[in-house]
Amino acid sequence: MTLLRAWLAGIPAYLWSGWGAIASLFLFFAAWEAAATVYGVLILPPPGTVFSTLAGLIDSGTAWPELAVTARRALTGLALAIAAGSVLGMLAGVSMTASMMSRPLVTVLLGTPPIAWLVLAMLWFGASDGTPVFTVFIACFPVIFVGALQGTRTLDGHLREMASVFRLPARMKLTDLYLPHVVSYLFPAWITALGTSWKVVVMAELLSSADGVGAALAVSRSHLDTASTLAWICAVVGTLLAVEYLLLEPIKRELESWRQQDAGGLT
Amino acid sequence: MSRELRIDGLAHAYALRSVLDDISLRLTAGRTLALVGPSGCGKTTLLHLCAGLLTVQKGSLASDFLRPAVMFQQPRLLPWKTTRDNIALGLKATGMRPAEREARAETMGRAVGLDKLALDLFPHALSGGMQSRAALARALALSPDLLLMDEPFSALDIGLKGQLHRLLLDHQTEHGLAVLMITHDLMEAVRLADTILVMAADPGRLVHRVELTTPARQRGESDIYRTTAELLQEPAVCASFGLDLPRTGIATGCHHRRSGCAVLPLRACSSADGAGTCAATPAPRKKGFSC
Ligand SMILES: Nc1ncnc2c1ncn2[C@@H]1O[C@H](COP(=O)(O)OP(=O)(O)OP(=O)(O)O)[C@@H](O)[C@H]1O
Ligand SMILES: [Mg+2]
Repeated sequence: MTLLRAWLAGIPAYLWSGWGAIASLFLFFAAWEAAATVYGVLILPPPGTVFSTLAGLIDSGTAWPELAVTARRALTGLALAIAAGSVLGMLAGVSMTASMMSRPLVTVLLGTPPIAWLVLAMLWFGASDGTPVFTVFIACFPVIFVGALQGTRTLDGHLREMASVFRLPARMKLTDLYLPHVVSYLFPAWITALGTSWKVVVMAELLSSADGVGAALAVSRSHLDTASTLAWICAVVGTLLAVEYLLLEPIKRELESWRQQDAGGLT
Repeated sequence: MSRELRIDGLAHAYALRSVLDDISLRLTAGRTLALVGPSGCGKTTLLHLCAGLLTVQKGSLASDFLRPAVMFQQPRLLPWKTTRDNIALGLKATGMRPAEREARAETMGRAVGLDKLALDLFPHALSGGMQSRAALARALALSPDLLLMDEPFSALDIGLKGQLHRLLLDHQTEHGLAVLMITHDLMEAVRLADTILVMAADPGRLVHRVELTTPARQRGESDIYRTTAELLQEPAVCASFGLDLPRTGIATGCHHRRSGCAVLPLRACSSADGAGTCAATPAPRKKGFSC
């Protein structure tokens, strides 16, 4: 009953926050429309045209295969980066020396622009899938590594002492002590990396592949087809937003339930 | 042969600062040792040495207890586990099956006064006293043979304190548990301990030792009050806590008031005239205990 009341009380705020987001989105479209009338259809097609082009791409069946190819590459690279970054980052976090030694390396990795890696990858892997996958991997790895490292290092020393006093075996230390804490650092890093992977893969494809969204973008650019260029961009951004808000947000809330159990029924 | 914790000539220093010096003590199964002393004198350090959390630098420390458990000065509950799972943590580490350990945790939780509702909450939703009771339940659930406790009851009201004192004594008679407990409450020490060790600071060392011969369960309230009062008149104890030494001339009056302060329940203490600050409530180093 109290839960229901809390939920009901929360509704106006929730709706209001939703309306805020929708309002700002419509403002953006309005600005876009205005800019389109100023600059003309060739430079900047209005949103309506772009969305009908996108709908056409989806209807004709061209959009999904390209998106699937791109997603496969991005997710492969991301999965590799998540696996390697999480494990190595946590291992480095456990040891003081390893974390000191890895820090400058990670800074170098983070500082190197993805386009530089892309050029190297094109030399190493040619036009194969390896190029985008490698570029995505190397762009995402340091982000995840740092998340895992920081998560591991920030675990309260008191809790570690407690765990050793209660003789937690190694596996339990991982699952009951480190992981629950590290996840709250890792998960945001994973989400950031997902965004990075999606952006980097399109860039890599644009320059190195014959298929995928990036390649489609290259084609529409060579045809000077601004409308379909924007349509592809919308497709890329839309997919990312959908994945993040429909899939990752709920998972994150589930994982973090212990943090704000009292936050009410809306979560 | 009964199990024993033996400490001989133990010393400890953090960096160059000596915190403990020449500590020697024995603790055998079934006995309770209370450690009192001013804040910062190294009690927690000694307890952590006993728990194996710090490496022994000088002297020796040997324990034949098989299942030690520790209750830390802070609750140290895992924030991502419910209270129930926190209490069951040590049992999970021993490989006990979920159903069994949860039932055990529930029994233990109930014994320290945590109801079902509280057991389902995460630690951040518990009050300070509930957290420290959960920590106590977590330690007791292991049915340890050596229990190391750092100010276990300091966050509790007098009713709960009494209840948990009884719980501890019950456990002790049942399992022959050895207890090393740090407390700032002299009366609590007198109530529960077989041996009271008084520490002084800089560096932390043992300055006084009291053996209480009557078994803890048979001590009457008036005995406890009287012994506490006597303990407070001990020069070594006064010096350790930075209290003024009892002066011989007005000794009886002074002692009387002092003991009144020390031993009477809170109600009497607060209604006491301004003459004697309530120095016996653990406000270490409080100068100006006027007699
Ligand atoms: N990890 C540490 N590094 C350096 N100094 C420390 C450390 N832990 C404790 N100390 C110092 O050692 C001294 C004793 O600390 P300890 O925690 O043992 O005191 P205590 O007797 O438990 O005090 P309290 O009654 O306030 O809990 C203190 O002066 C403290 O500053
Ligand atoms: Mg302490």
